[in-house]
Amino acid sequence: MTELLQQALTWQNGLIFLGWAIVFLFIVLGFVTYAIYFERKVIGWMQFRHGPTRVGPLGLLQSVADVLKLLIKEDTIPQKADRTLFILAPIITFVPAFAVLAVIPYTPSLYFADLNVGLLYYAALSSLSTIGIILGGWASNNKYSLMGGMRSAAQMISYEIPLVISVVGVVMLSGGLSLNTIVEGQGNNFWEWNLLPQMIGFVVFMIAAVSELNRTPFDLPEAESELVAGYHVEYSGFRFAFFMLAEYVYVFAIASLTTVLFLGGWHPPLAILDFIPGLLWFMLKFVFVVFFLFWLRATMPRIRVDQLMSFGWKVLLPLALINIFVTAAYIELFLK
Amino acid sequence: MFDLSFVWNGHSILFLILAVCIISGAVFMLNFSKIIHMVVSLAFTFIGLAGVYVLLEAEFVATVQILVYAGAISILMIFGIMMTKHDQLEEEPRIQWKGVFAAVGCLALFVAIFFAIRSTSFPTAPATGPLAEDNTLELGKQIFTAHVIPFELLSVLLTVAFIGAIVVAKHEDAEESEVVSSPSQKEAE
Repeated sequence: MTELLQQALTWQNGLIFLGWAIVFLFIVLGFVTYAIYFERKVIGWMQFRHGPTRVGPLGLLQSVADVLKLLIKEDTIPQKADRTLFILAPIITFVPAFAVLAVIPYTPSLYFADLNVGLLYYAALSSLSTIGIILGGWASNNKYSLMGGMRSAAQMISYEIPLVISVVGVVMLSGGLSLNTIVEGQGNNFWEWNLLPQMIGFVVFMIAAVSELNRTPFDLPEAESELVAGYHVEYSGFRFAFFMLAEYVYVFAIASLTTVLFLGGWHPPLAILDFIPGLLWFMLKFVFVVFFLFWLRATMPRIRVDQLMSFGWKVLLPLALINIFVTAAYIELFLK
Repeated sequence: MFDLSFVWNGHSILFLILAVCIISGAVFMLNFSKIIHMVVSLAFTFIGLAGVYVLLEAEFVATVQILVYAGAISILMIFGIMMTKHDQLEEEPRIQWKGVFAAVGCLALFVAIFFAIRSTSFPTAPATGPLAEDNTLELGKQIFTAHVIPFELLSVLLTVAFIGAIVVAKHEDAEESEVVSSPSQKEAE
């Protein structure tokens, strides 16, 4: 992959890039299908239920059936809706979700782009999805969806700041914004990962990340009990599927980003386990983070709007700033 | 001066596409009647500008452009939704001859800028390898050595603005609560 990326951009190479992007899109779609299945299974087991069991062996084809149902449903657009923006909103939400995956390195040789500003690229593009969500909320011409969209915007903007500031400590330790550099800066033992030295940063990052994903306990934009379904009340069929898809692709992205930034990427937890290929370690950590997100959803109640804002600005932001100062002092005192 | 030769390569084609995106976004922004449509076309202009920065190998500036302006776009939308009336479409009184004056002004501006650009010789910087390699590092070095005083002054200015905004908001809050509490006090009396 590295050699391919350094060659000149000819038509042939361009087609190869496109082919890889399509292969990767299908891998991500496969992940989304089974992430939804596992989410329902895990939450089911945690609540003493079975989860899906009927479609296919062990219910394995449940998500496939759901997607098929969504695709063949009637495509409804409300008469009073703003037609153009209503159609555009799911696309604007989904495109950045897939585009951020380009900068994540899976192994030393398997990555799609080694951007010098990889981390900033992720933060910048993921903030574009907010526009799609507000647009969807506004274009539906429905008060519940508008309120959902507004909540989502307020929440995503106030939690993006702690999210970005909490990873500054990691950037300072590794001396680069490129995600490849950040993984290479971590070692082959679990105490050489960024997890333990950046414990505060990690906790702030995880909380802010769950909030960015609009998942429980921060799923206020789609709080069923208050807002029916939030910003996608009026959406059905494949347009609704696009919103769901964007949400789960962000789960993929955040789980990969957590693995890369704090859990050592492809590095094994102990140096003697180095014989196991890096991709496998990456996948193990990735699956653990995804499971953690499902676990949170099964066990946490939703928090209130006023708590949400004050928690973000009065707790997470100061903690993230303290983390930067402590890291800077540590680097000055011990690493120079 | 009138050397209008144009090199057709990937760069120039991409530049043309991005330029069309930027300009059409700006024109649509002026011509739409609904505020949300305006804000969306403004977003296209900003993203197109980020694309131009990527073409110029200024990746840091490009990402910051998206990060800062995309956040601003969502906030603009919220303000647009909350603070304007959506039912009425604005109708401006038409001024005769406005179009002609505007066209003459545009033409004059174009001629001025065109001749200015054509008569300027751009010094080509000494080639020091690909710019994108570590322009973030170079930017950081420049900001914290040569330009540290303007940088610090700017941060002080921003902090002052931030504290000022909080003070103003607090003040209004106190006034509002007085207004709200006064009728109940009168009733109690």
